[in-house]
Amino acid sequence: MSGTETAAPTASTLLPVATPARTRAAVAELLRPQRALALTALAVMVGSTAIGLLTQPLLGRIVDLAADAGSADALTTTAALLAAVAVVQGLTSGYGLSLLSRLGESTLARLRERFVDRALGLPLEQVEKAGAGDLTARVTADVALIAEAVRTALPELARSLLTIVLTLGAMALLDWRFLLAALLAVPVQVATARWYVSQAVPLYARQRVAAGAQQQQLLDTVAGGPTVRALRLEREHVERVTERSWSVVDLTMRGVRLVLGFYSRLHVAEYLGLAAVLLTGYWLVSRDSASVGTATAAALYFHSLFTPVNAALVLLDDAQSATAGLSRLVGVTDRPPPPPPAREARTERVDVVVRGLGHCYRPGHPVLSDVELTIRPGERVALVGASGAGKTTLARLVAGIQPPTTGTVLVGGVPPAGLGAATARRTLALITQETHVFAGPLADDLRLAAPDATDDELRAALDRVDALGWAEALPEGLSTVVGDGGHRLGGARTQALALARLILADPPLVILDEATAEAGSSGARALEKAVARAVDGRTALIVAHRLSQAASADRIVVMDAGRIVESGTHDELRALGGRYATLWGAWSDTRDTGA
Amino acid sequence: MREADLPGRRLLWRAVRGRRRDLVIGSVFGMGHQTGEALVPVLIGLAVDRGIVGGDLPGLLLWLGVLAAVYVGLSYSFRFGARAGERASVTAAHRLRTALVERVLAPEGGADEGRLPGELANTATEDAKRVGAVTMALIVGIGATTGLAVGAVVLLRISLPLGLLVLLGTPLLLWLVHLLSKPLERRSATEQDRAARASGVAADLVAGLRVLKGIGAERAAVARYRRISQDSLTATLRAARAEAWQSGVVTLLTGTFLAVVALVGGRLAASGAIGLGELVSSVALALFLIGPLSEFSWVYAQLAQGRASAARIAAVLDSAHAVTDGPAGDTGPALPAAGRLRLRGVSYGPLRGVDLDVSPGEIVGVVTTDPADAAALLRCLARRSDPEEGSVELDGTDVRALALSRLRAAVLVAEHDADLFEGTLLENVGAAASGADVTAALAASGTDEVVRALPDGLAAAVTARGHSLSGGQRQRVALARALAADAPVLVLHEPTTAVDAVTEVRMAAGIGALREGRTTLLVTNSPALLARTGRVVLLDAGRIAATGGHDALVQARADYRTAVLA
Repeated sequence: MSGTETAAPTASTLLPVATPARTRAAVAELLRPQRALALTALAVMVGSTAIGLLTQPLLGRIVDLAADAGSADALTTTAALLAAVAVVQGLTSGYGLSLLSRLGESTLARLRERFVDRALGLPLEQVEKAGAGDLTARVTADVALIAEAVRTALPELARSLLTIVLTLGAMALLDWRFLLAALLAVPVQVATARWYVSQAVPLYARQRVAAGAQQQQLLDTVAGGPTVRALRLEREHVERVTERSWSVVDLTMRGVRLVLGFYSRLHVAEYLGLAAVLLTGYWLVSRDSASVGTATAAALYFHSLFTPVNAALVLLDDAQSATAGLSRLVGVTDRPPPPPPAREARTERVDVVVRGLGHCYRPGHPVLSDVELTIRPGERVALVGASGAGKTTLARLVAGIQPPTTGTVLVGGVPPAGLGAATARRTLALITQETHVFAGPLADDLRLAAPDATDDELRAALDRVDALGWAEALPEGLSTVVGDGGHRLGGARTQALALARLILADPPLVILDEATAEAGSSGARALEKAVARAVDGRTALIVAHRLSQAASADRIVVMDAGRIVESGTHDELRALGGRYATLWGAWSDTRDTGA
Repeated sequence: MREADLPGRRLLWRAVRGRRRDLVIGSVFGMGHQTGEALVPVLIGLAVDRGIVGGDLPGLLLWLGVLAAVYVGLSYSFRFGARAGERASVTAAHRLRTALVERVLAPEGGADEGRLPGELANTATEDAKRVGAVTMALIVGIGATTGLAVGAVVLLRISLPLGLLVLLGTPLLLWLVHLLSKPLERRSATEQDRAARASGVAADLVAGLRVLKGIGAERAAVARYRRISQDSLTATLRAARAEAWQSGVVTLLTGTFLAVVALVGGRLAASGAIGLGELVSSVALALFLIGPLSEFSWVYAQLAQGRASAARIAAVLDSAHAVTDGPAGDTGPALPAAGRLRLRGVSYGPLRGVDLDVSPGEIVGVVTTDPADAAALLRCLARRSDPEEGSVELDGTDVRALALSRLRAAVLVAEHDADLFEGTLLENVGAAASGADVTAALAASGTDEVVRALPDGLAAAVTARGHSLSGGQRQRVALARALAADAPVLVLHEPTTAVDAVTEVRMAAGIGALREGRTTLLVTNSPALLARTGRVVLLDAGRIAATGGHDALVQARADYRTAVLA
């Protein structure tokens, strides 16, 4: 699709984001099948934390025994109990944490699988309007964010919160007045946390944007290095990178100052609580309401709260951003699953009927008007015209990427846009100039088109497009890992692979849009032959980039300014002396002086 | 091994030394902070002992006052110390990042050969960050040592046996933890790699969404993803279970150690050898010391990572130049190049003794039967490489004797896969035009049509690498940029492959008219362009096979016809 047709994505065209209530409901839904696991994990973690809290009273008891110059045996027994507590706590916390991670990880796996399922089912039109970056960002950054939260923040947070709640409970058991003293720190902590989150969320959002911009600029500059040197833009590009990098430095330092301010306020809370607990201890001991050992245990309890409280508060913004990421994922997973196919896929030859077709991307700017076109089963039609004549749009409408503004398109008697589902795609295939090699073994890439294909069938498909030679010469033949992070395939090979997939998918209708554009002059000719073999026996609509490709079609349709202006065979149109004849003249003049 | 490490180490220490002011500030305050942290448990013990045990309120208040002072001190020390440390590490990373980009873009080239852009960008962000983080790690290390020393002094003063027990026991404890978790760590690292695959595959499938939809492969892709995701889950669970048990073991060992300290301390206190407050302090200190001690393993890991990253950065910075710049003295104004280009017996890659003489103002076509020949020729003309044999001359001077900046101002090689950059359309076209009017270049390249088609015209935003434009639009904008630079010698490589036949003819006419009388080399197999040249050179198997007019070659040579005609 050409740049003329892409409007910049705005908030309204971005993919949906779930409301907080809906996000919570979706998480509950995901957890439901694992309720038993969730309850066991919670119970084990609570038990483990509670056992761990016996440590401080036991230490307090040691203080009391020492104060009374108690027996050595009693001291030894208490210390042995301390060790036993440690052993039980260690074992139960290991078990509890592994249950918790099983719960988190398997839920995450279900979420990401459902996300990919729904994402791949989204109508292409919607993805394009949102901008490809939106979906990619959700599937990479948001999933990573949540995975990170599940892996590190979730266990840490669960453990911290349990420790805090149970420790406060234990302090209340020692004497409820210790709890009151400890709670003095809470207002400061709550105010600090609120202040921090309100500052941190927008700042971290800016940091992410700046880091993304820096990465983008680095890639842009480094990948374009030869161009930069050829045009002597070295200085300008170093400046661009420096500027972006400095803005990351600046925002990072702002974040550091914020975090440090956060810790300073927490230090105040720590001191307030600690002083209050110690004063309460003095008061209770002086009134003989508590022993020195109890006062010690309370002080130690409070001191041991510092780490989990700080950890929980620091995790607040992790939790916040993970929740934001989650709502973006749920926004997509909440879409209904793709409907079951309305009809069986067509495997016999189909025809294409286009009646009164008109289309505009922006109101008042029609790119297609009054298009009438019939393609007979098995007929090969070439679309010819200058850039911007509407060829790509017509191809997209016939492929059902989007419904036309006016008029109808029928493929084998059915509107392709209405079919939508993958089954419709079994009836027709669209190959555009956008190509992709799927990361993984070459055979896996091909099997996306035909999951049950045998190795021989894969080889036969590659052979039809003259790709078997190089494919078998790859380091590990068809098992060679290709694509991102693997063996890199050049433009012509990538195109050949697309054609091999087409043969394997074996649809009765093929729509080709500039499938040979990127291969360069000499590669283009080889690919043209491959295209001819790949579409053999199928109904085909080919957006012809090179006129030689048009000349070999059964019929040529010439477009200009969104209308069909001529239609006929190569010889008929040449004889007609119209637009095609002129085009052919311009083309063949430069190529053909004799034949 | 040590030899190979050397450039990395040198770079690491240079980066650290460059931030020594922040390093000193950070270390001093870091020491203050750790001292404060070590004193808190001691003061809790003192408050219990002096205040609560004796029922002495003024005593308690005095020690609470001291505790308050220590809190203020440690809080501010932490604030200033951490700020200086972070500043040092991000600034060091920033410096390295710019140095790296400067080296990659250096006219001599060579740093980006054999390295993927993503890999270099990663080195510039992640590796630079890790080297920067070494300064922070040093500050933390110094602080932890201080905390340890303060704790040790206090403990030994309380009781020699108890002090020794804690000071020798804590490292032993950490060593045990390390020993137990080592196999777990190893396993977890490899499994995390496998776990990361799921997200990579998902991103890849989304990137190929159109292709998937084009052939109706969504179901197959989802099924494949589910398999990988489940596989990934199995690996993650193993890693997570290992981590969970590791953390459980740490809890177990720490608790047991604490029990031993409490037992020994309790006996000492019961016998009156130490006070109750000292017992409380000892137990709390034993807990506290685990902090700074485990900090050391983190510091060590950071240093190791920093060294590895520094080695990667050093490898890029020290990579060999692809070509050497001309004499340093050659800094004169732009060459008043007449534009005579001469290749004398050039052998490079597939090229074998190529002789070519292009007169000033001549427009010459170069047709190759193998794209590799064209690529090699372009590399030599752009001086991205020097010929293995023979020479390239500009106006009678060997190009190796010219400064690269002056040479490239005179000879512009616009390659087929040239990149566009983020900015407006006009900024892209005018990138190398030094402010000159670009209207003629826009028209000649057919970019005027692109401008009309875009809602914002010349102000239209071009996203990174030109991806907001279609292939044909990108190609025309890149050509406009090359034409607008108005170089005395212009080498164009396949500038019309992504446009339709009508536009191609228009562009060929535009290029011919605009470059009239200016030396131009058209490295292309497109007859539309070749028809505009004065003469064409046919390169076959690395050698010049024929020279002559386009029409004459079409008539005379079958290999030429095969190369240029459909």
